[in-house]
Amino acid sequence: MILQSLAQYYKDRLGVPDGYQKKEIPFIIVLDTQGRFVDLLDTRDTEGRIKRARVFLVPREVKRSGSKAWEKANLLWDTPAYVVGISHKESENAARKHESFKSRFAQTFHDPSLDPGIAAIHAFLTNGQFASLQAHSSWPDVLDTDGYITFKLEGDECIVSERDAVKDILQRLQVLNNDMVKGICLVSGEEDEVARLHNAIKGVRGTLSTGGNIVSFKLPAFESFGKAQGYNAPVGKRAEFAYITALNSLLDKDSRQKIQVGDATTIFWAEKAHQMEDWFADFFGEPPKGESTQDSAAIKALYEAPVTGAAGAVLLDDDTRFYVLGLAPNAARIAVRFWYQGSVGEVARNIKQHFDDLAIVHGPNQPTHLSLFRLLVSTAIQGKSENIQPNLAGEFMKTILAGIPYPNTLLSSAIRRCRAEREVPYPRAALIKAVLARQARFYRREEKEVGMALDKDYLNIGYRLGRLFAVLEKIQEEANPGINATIRDRFYGSASGTPITAFPHLMKLKNHHLSKLENKGRAVNFERSIGEIMAGIGDIPTHLSLQDQGRFAVGYYHQRQDFFTKKEQADMEGE
Amino acid sequence: MHDNENKRRSRLFNLKVWGENACFTRPEMKVERVSYDAMTPSAARGILEAIHWKPAIKWHITQIDVLNPIKWTSVRRNEVGIKMSPSSKQLFIEDQRQQRAGLFLRDVAYVIHAFFRMTDKAGPDDNLAKHEEMFMRRAKKGQCFHRPCLGCREFAADFELLDDKDLPQTITDTKDLGWMLYDIDFNNGEPKPMFFRAYLENGSIVVPPLGSSEVRK
Repeated sequence: MILQSLAQYYKDRLGVPDGYQKKEIPFIIVLDTQGRFVDLLDTRDTEGRIKRARVFLVPREVKRSGSKAWEKANLLWDTPAYVVGISHKESENAARKHESFKSRFAQTFHDPSLDPGIAAIHAFLTNGQFASLQAHSSWPDVLDTDGYITFKLEGDECIVSERDAVKDILQRLQVLNNDMVKGICLVSGEEDEVARLHNAIKGVRGTLSTGGNIVSFKLPAFESFGKAQGYNAPVGKRAEFAYITALNSLLDKDSRQKIQVGDATTIFWAEKAHQMEDWFADFFGEPPKGESTQDSAAIKALYEAPVTGAAGAVLLDDDTRFYVLGLAPNAARIAVRFWYQGSVGEVARNIKQHFDDLAIVHGPNQPTHLSLFRLLVSTAIQGKSENIQPNLAGEFMKTILAGIPYPNTLLSSAIRRCRAEREVPYPRAALIKAVLARQARFYRREEKEVGMALDKDYLNIGYRLGRLFAVLEKIQEEANPGINATIRDRFYGSASGTPITAFPHLMKLKNHHLSKLENKGRAVNFERSIGEIMAGIGDIPTHLSLQDQGRFAVGYYHQRQDFFTKKEQADMEGE
Repeated sequence: MHDNENKRRSRLFNLKVWGENACFTRPEMKVERVSYDAMTPSAARGILEAIHWKPAIKWHITQIDVLNPIKWTSVRRNEVGIKMSPSSKQLFIEDQRQQRAGLFLRDVAYVIHAFFRMTDKAGPDDNLAKHEEMFMRRAKKGQCFHRPCLGCREFAADFELLDDKDLPQTITDTKDLGWMLYDIDFNNGEPKPMFFRAYLENGSIVVPPLGSSEVRK
């Protein structure tokens, strides 16, 4: 279904004629009808610091690599070495390349007089006098950048390959080509010429700059029934072109339908143009630098619209098909990491559920909705994205979209980071809470699960011990103002893992700390809250399960947040 | 003619198969494997043939019921990059090892509805009742020529012969699964793949009969 949906996307949304593709072409040679050089145009625009060329419709790119690359020229466009046989680089090949370019042109257009544009190029190439071209002021730029060149007829708006007559000729040629293997295309179900090699897919992070392939049978181990290359999986040329073009346009560097999730380059699309395509990246991506960390329009729409009755309410019931595809490189191949298909409504509901599960009390300067990146990075060593466990990001994304419990490794790695760093920051607390809450809901557990904010009635032993630990730390901090290292730095790991080894000692320490407090009322208050927490604890257990360690972290976090909020309220009341 | 047909066609069997993992590889993604959403007819045939097969019979699949929700898992495995040529003495796996990704199904269970037909290779000793009884006896005892698998040899399948009465509940999904591999046609020289449009309807895929216009080859 992956290739089918992509081919459909191409058909419905991109609408490039058969055999064509979109390509950035920086330079255009303008010819008059006699094939005489008129001008050299530079189509590049300065966009920020990078110069970007305009995009044109050109005949499809040929796949070339290795020592025989000079044999393969593109039709009507290519680098200066092919088009005019002049190049700074690889000078010994330029002449041969130019010959290939000319012969491909001659083979394709037997009769140049069919179109004035073709006739002009034919005359220009036959004449072979490029002196006036080389004299043009833009020519050094062409050589320096080795950028693609194509042709345009003087007075025309479009380039030659975009002329209707040229499109007609090229499409008729495709039909006439009879030297081919026919078969049933497994994408369309129609009989078609089977593509032997599939074109390269570019833009998946980590692949070679020349691109990679999803469908490729390079090694003999991949072949079945004595079939070579693409005949192992009959994909028609038309379907191949469609899905490759769709993929490349979705993976394009300007694409708004692409996000990086861990090591998986993730693209998404709807069956028809849909607002969700604009919003999806906002749900999961990092907010752009410089913009406020407050909620994006997308998340606002998701949350506020049901109340106001605007677009978002419709969004939740929208059954437009929506697809998400995660691709990751493996050598020169591209592997499918995950694949999701559902409706816009399902996606919206599941994303909302995800944010609901994540919701937890936090400081006023923290964003309410955490990006996927911040969550994942909180489980990684040193908070570096390259340390995110491979495969975790993709799995995480998949579970969010499908609305199923988060991967188990998420909980264990978050807890491991808590113990190693002896700290429970906001994203990690949110993540642990979300994993627990989701498991409880999915498996319909009876007992209560950790909530959004401090829950004084929640009796779970892990949660209680977490709260107790936070209170003990607070007492120490108040007893020794400005202290550098608290009990958390020494005891977090053992307190959450094997409480029996830590808590008796900590309770003894607490007595010393309390006696140092000058404000005796405060000491009494602390004693009271310890008593209240301890009331729910029988014996201190020898060890806590992974889930309870998670609840410990959340309890600790809740209790600490509670101290901060109380203080703020007290401050406000004092004013 | 009709009578003759009845003599050559067996009753319908319902075989439940299940396993922890499955990969019914899509041909276009068989290097970095990606599974179809559900079992293909050729995979189902493979399971039946593992339990009972003789040249005298040929299995035909009529329907595949999906019993468990479709769940996916992404796994990286070590595989080998070359095939051994008949002339070579050995192949040193360590040198040819490669890591490949796979998108597999998890926790699957299906009911295969199938019958067999007597082929031209059936001798005078072969008759329908004999093979029907043999299959039922073998399937009930759990006998098989080789361990049946769910698409890949490493994903072993458990099986159980079901009565018509107690067919288990399928999932309720209805969706278009796209073009799915039907089987390979070995009849005319070069092996050719055949495809059909698979629709999951209330958890069941109805498999068109071989030779119908729905099977493209």
